[in-house]
Amino acid sequence: MKPRTILLVVAGWITVGAFLGPLAWMVLGSFKTTVDFLAFPPVWVFRPTLTNYAQVFADNNFPRYVLNSTIVAVGATIIGLVLGLPAAYALARYKRTAIGVLLLAARMAPGIAFLIPLFVMFLSLHLVGSFTSLIVSHLIFTLPLSVWMLVGFIEAVPREVEQAAQIDGCSVLGVLLRIITPLTVQGLAATAILAFIASWNNFLFALVLSNDTTKTLPVAVLGYIGYNSIQWGTLMAAATLITLPVLALALCVQRYIVRGLVAGAVNG
Amino acid sequence: MGFPLLYLCSMSLHRWSLIGFAPPRFIGFDNFAALASDDRFTASLWRTLYFTALGLASNIPLGLAIALLLDQRFPTRNLLRALMILPMVATPAAMGLVWTVMLDPSLGIIRYLLRLVAIAHPPLWLSDPAWVVPTLVGVDAWMWTPMVTLICMAGLAALPPEPFEAARVDGAGPWQRFRFITLPLLAPTLLVAAMLRVMDLLKVIDIVYVMTGGGPGHASETINLYNYLVALSYDKIGYGAAVALVLFALVLICTVVLIRFRRAVA
Repeated sequence: MKPRTILLVVAGWITVGAFLGPLAWMVLGSFKTTVDFLAFPPVWVFRPTLTNYAQVFADNNFPRYVLNSTIVAVGATIIGLVLGLPAAYALARYKRTAIGVLLLAARMAPGIAFLIPLFVMFLSLHLVGSFTSLIVSHLIFTLPLSVWMLVGFIEAVPREVEQAAQIDGCSVLGVLLRIITPLTVQGLAATAILAFIASWNNFLFALVLSNDTTKTLPVAVLGYIGYNSIQWGTLMAAATLITLPVLALALCVQRYIVRGLVAGAVNG
Repeated sequence: MGFPLLYLCSMSLHRWSLIGFAPPRFIGFDNFAALASDDRFTASLWRTLYFTALGLASNIPLGLAIALLLDQRFPTRNLLRALMILPMVATPAAMGLVWTVMLDPSLGIIRYLLRLVAIAHPPLWLSDPAWVVPTLVGVDAWMWTPMVTLICMAGLAALPPEPFEAARVDGAGPWQRFRFITLPLLAPTLLVAAMLRVMDLLKVIDIVYVMTGGGPGHASETINLYNYLVALSYDKIGYGAAVALVLFALVLICTVVLIRFRRAVA
């Protein structure tokens, strides 16, 4: 290899390594005993332990929070896709600019601007603390996200395919279900994963709208920092368990992540 | 989606509290008038602008620099590009806690790493009122600089090769090629990145809530956090709605300015 190439490899790995450092340190810490964790200077070679993970699962509520997070994220993702697909189709094929502007507004609006009215509404409906309130509130971001992503995928489907179906007597709904859906299946999967991640990671809405039984993971993880004691290793193990699924999912859709971020902004 | 926002507008014109039996009372624009004399609100507003400015000033150059590095051809480049997305998808609440532990003034790994480069007395990070905002900006930069990098890499890949070849023939050095070709051609892309960052920086709340709760004192209380506290902890729904509208307007204005600016550049 040329010296320049070696230099680039080294520089690249140091740079990206710095960004991965906190994640690596979290995973490493989750396998340390309290003594190893509190050692200063930090120990790099140590006897790994699974106590922290055992501790996390010994806490009866943790599996419950995993289930809560999953219910909310799956619910918000599926409903977001079902509602988002027709909207995206209309946007892609009929250029309804109004929807585009509205979606940009949703991207700009602070979550709290939706959270305050939703909280008051759910309170009067006695729904605060329910999965319904969490899923509906998460739609505030999974729906625009789905529409943004899907518009791009639908625009890539050649119009001729649709026109051929329509000539053969297919309705608009038929085109959507029999042509668009099968042809954008990959895009739908990528969109679903991105929506799932967004919902899984959401903190503020869950903080306000969940209660002790419906609490999702990002809110629950706060419990590991108490006012007088921090269970360091357990905290790291819990953080690892929460984060790893989304990291793995994100790597599956890595080439769509930028498209989602940019497309949404530029289309408006 | 429009309905909650209309409801919010209506709330902002009322004195509205959920505890007790007093029904919401219409008070016109009194909530907005009260904002002007609310020192805690004004302070949080300036603090948020400071946060945003620091965030942009760090994210954009750093993100661009990393994009230029990862745009070069070398082995494992694609792997590095893929790994770069991880900080922005990691659950912010969990990562906020991990960073809190890393920044711990006595046993944190950051203290150890700084000692390696001969910085024996680093600031107290989250406990120092002067350092808490820059520290939080740092954590936010860790999370979101990769987004700037990814956007810039997409922009770099789309640049036409001809101007670069022409410049090379004319004997322009790497710095000149960057300064006079890459930068102007990439300006619209950089503005898109800046726009996305501004939208999120102005609304920053998750990591602040988790890492400092707005403290020490109110030293890291951003407008969004203040908004949350006022509306949902202090039960001043109407007043909170007014704060939310001001924050929304702030994001809207900044975004529109950047969109205009981008059109002027492109």
